[in-house]
Amino acid sequence: MSSSNVREFEDQLRHAWYIAEVLDRKMTSSASTATPMKHAFTRHVEEVKTPKSDVNTLILDYLTVAGYPNAAAKFSTEANLQPQQPTSAIQSRQRIRTAIHKGEIAGAIEDLNELDPSILDKDEPLHFALLRLQLMELIRACNNSPGRDITPALQFARDQLGPRAATNPEFLEDLEKTMSLLVFEQNDALDPSLAALLKPGLRREVADNVNKAILERQQQRKEAAICQLVRMRAWAENTTRKDTKKDLPARIELGLDGDDTDKQDGQDGHEPMNTT
Amino acid sequence: MTNPFQHGPSGFNPDVTFTGFLPRIRSSYASVVSGSNPGLASSSFRTNRLQYLLNPANDSSDLYSTRPSSRHHSMSPEHHGHSPDGGASGSAHRGPQLPPLSRAFERFMDSDSPDAFYTPHMNSGFFTPSYLRGSSYIQKLGEAHEAKRVQTETQQQAGGGGSQAGPASASLGSKPPASHLGMTYDLIERAPAFDSDQPVAPLPTRWSTQDKSIGLEVSVDGLEVKYNQTVRNSREQEHEVCSIRANHPMPTQAGIYYFEVILMGKRRDETTVCIGFLGKNVNLNRPPGWEPESWGYHGDDGDVYSGGNVGKRYKDTFGVGDVVGCGVNFRTGQVFFTKNGISQGMLPLITLQTRLRIMRRRSSDLGSDHDIGVAFRDIKGKLYPAVGVKKTGEHIRVNFGQSPFYYDIDKVMRDEQETIKDAISRTSIKRLMSPPINETDLIQQLVLQFLQHDGYVESARAFAREIQNEQQALRINPDVPIAGVNIKDDDDAHNRQRIRRAILEGDIDKALKLTRTFYPQVLDDNHGVYFRLRCRKFIEMVRKSAESSSVVNKRSNGHYGDDNPNEMDVDENGFSDSMEEDAIDPQADEDDLIEYGQALEAEFKDDPRREIRRTLNDVFALLAYTNPLEVKEIAPLLDRKGRVVVAEELNSAILSSLGKSSRSALENLYGQTSVFLDYLREDGGPGSLVTIQSVIDEIPKSQPF
Repeated sequence: MSSSNVREFEDQLRHAWYIAEVLDRKMTSSASTATPMKHAFTRHVEEVKTPKSDVNTLILDYLTVAGYPNAAAKFSTEANLQPQQPTSAIQSRQRIRTAIHKGEIAGAIEDLNELDPSILDKDEPLHFALLRLQLMELIRACNNSPGRDITPALQFARDQLGPRAATNPEFLEDLEKTMSLLVFEQNDALDPSLAALLKPGLRREVADNVNKAILERQQQRKEAAICQLVRMRAWAENTTRKDTKKDLPARIELGLDGDDTDKQDGQDGHEPMNTT
Repeated sequence: MTNPFQHGPSGFNPDVTFTGFLPRIRSSYASVVSGSNPGLASSSFRTNRLQYLLNPANDSSDLYSTRPSSRHHSMSPEHHGHSPDGGASGSAHRGPQLPPLSRAFERFMDSDSPDAFYTPHMNSGFFTPSYLRGSSYIQKLGEAHEAKRVQTETQQQAGGGGSQAGPASASLGSKPPASHLGMTYDLIERAPAFDSDQPVAPLPTRWSTQDKSIGLEVSVDGLEVKYNQTVRNSREQEHEVCSIRANHPMPTQAGIYYFEVILMGKRRDETTVCIGFLGKNVNLNRPPGWEPESWGYHGDDGDVYSGGNVGKRYKDTFGVGDVVGCGVNFRTGQVFFTKNGISQGMLPLITLQTRLRIMRRRSSDLGSDHDIGVAFRDIKGKLYPAVGVKKTGEHIRVNFGQSPFYYDIDKVMRDEQETIKDAISRTSIKRLMSPPINETDLIQQLVLQFLQHDGYVESARAFAREIQNEQQALRINPDVPIAGVNIKDDDDAHNRQRIRRAILEGDIDKALKLTRTFYPQVLDDNHGVYFRLRCRKFIEMVRKSAESSSVVNKRSNGHYGDDNPNEMDVDENGFSDSMEEDAIDPQADEDDLIEYGQALEAEFKDDPRREIRRTLNDVFALLAYTNPLEVKEIAPLLDRKGRVVVAEELNSAILSSLGKSSRSALENLYGQTSVFLDYLREDGGPGSLVTIQSVIDEIPKSQPF
């Protein structure tokens, strides 16, 4: 039997019931509620079918690609989906990511080389980004140390980064920026672009790039599909607001936070509606 | 098929694909009219001169021995209006009548065409132009077509059996009532509400048999048009053109629309075919382009016209044997034409590289004081593909997408889609939440919230722990506490999970019991859900009885077909189905079934709502079949996927009763995206070029590793 038949049938039941309930409500509760009319947009959204199979696929894909082995394994059991990758493959990516997140870059590079001996040789910018992060971590360590001994950081920069930076102006710029952190005292007001280097965002960024590089080397997709979906949502709203005259609620919530305060029965709190 | 022009000089045409190609002598359409329209004559004089200078290659036609130079005289007005024989005699010694692009016709002529893709669709009257494959437009069109087809079938099938469903409810409109299937189609047609606001515009499929000037004959398949002099002979109409519109306007929702016209016929010269598109009410005795709401590319002078008879320099002339395409990009409002598979002028301005290339080329391109390539701009609205012909014997064939196109329009579509995809990739998601949040965090929250919301208890816990570890690792100052990842609702989630599992296993009674225990109000407050659960129970009983009897039958036949574990033992949601295991006495099943059915009927017989009546009738109709699992129209009712629907409905009802949104944030996001994209499709906007499905389809289907 074709799945379209099945879908038709699902629609059939759902809509029969939607209509029945609307009629029912009209018959029984005309006095009780003067519920504000929903915005046309909200009604349209409620009518969209969000196939569970699609959503489940997106979730498993994300857990796999982004590297959450335990959740991926549990979810493929609970939702009975075939795993996309063996748990061990996801785990090894997660291990490397965690090391980078912790600032243990040397360990991460070691693991990475073990996983794929040629990955860093083939990807100079990635290798440089890791080494620069390692330098950052050394600078951070020296900033936190009582005597503020900058020797290890300097040594590392000279040995590891200097020769590489000479080959590429972008590397050089990055290195210079990083080195300037050594010049400032810990409590100096830093230029925002420099301050950003000290934040965990840089670790995350490098870890993401390493994850993508590993996936690419394994001929897998680099990014989970949900990322593009989320951006598609943002893009579609921007474009609709900009290029069409559609009447939209001032703000369209995803319903992520405030599950409890969330509108019951799908009623949308904002914008008390003028439907055209 | 051999090329009929192989005797002709080869190597003269730079395009090797068309080696048999012969140069045509330019015969300005306008010059023919000059006698009656002086204004035109001067403009055409100018353009002809210009063309002559720009296309010195035309001179070379004189060099060909096969072409009597006297053909030039045919340009003069007095030669116009010769009988068809006159024309034929001129072309007779130039060989057979088929145009040199004979490849283009193989598909029409060779019934054993290897390109099987097109054949089945042509039979059913539905086809998918290659560049629209996978688009949301064609999907909707296909659904509408399918619904219509089945509805027709059902009407025939239902015949006198319409009594069982009772009168159609007012809210469902006055669609033919009839069987349970009748209801399906009512609903399908109105399923997505904005579709009914905006019905799916059909594709043009053929030339209109009415919407044409009188001198034109349309072939039986609707694709060919011939100018028949004998039908239309009056002298004063001589300088006019016969035009014809397609049966439907170009659908803007497709984003891009493209069609090709193949110039057939006998004459090799003085062809006067104009290709373009028109509004609904444009005079058909004028060539496309000469009236308001009318646009056309004219073969005689290679100019493009819009809204008047002064042409704009465009590109090559065209004539018999050429394939000319017309493409409209509704997103940009731009129109371009192609000839023999080559875009005329530039590509329709897509990628940055293309844009740069065009800018570079433009500076060196003589005589391009406007964008060539783009013939027209700001095109929108309901416009019909159209063709105009002038001379007797002229004969064209159109390809609205039933066959592969000459021009690689698929690539244009792909490039357009890429452009949009890139734009999407570059979009910041920051503003989706206030306060703003980075993409990684947002997606983590969406995923976690979904897992909790839908009651994937174990997964939610595992994921929360992994996120927490990640945050711990990222922490630079170990003294700063990390925000704990909030996993609340475990009890609720767990209960809901149990209820769902019961339904997915087909154990409706257990689900009802659990629901009454944990959420006593839900079934009373959601009468509809309750009713559907009760009906599902009946369906499950029918299923069980049908399965056990079919198992018995199959066993007795010696081939028990249940050895594929994926098909029978594990259902869509992976819960192994215990029901098949206990093969019970079919007769006892049947008795239970009848008994339950009677109870169900008794419980709901006083319900005034028509929908309940209808659903009950549908469900009870299952009893009419010995093995409903084998009846194509009935089987979907019994499918296990129906369990998912009921389970999700009950889950949503429970969530609502707890004061929670019935949808997860991720599903909201999905639904909102879908609606926005629909909004952006309405006039062929960028939404026509992307679908959510295309994003999901990028996920490989459970590949083995």
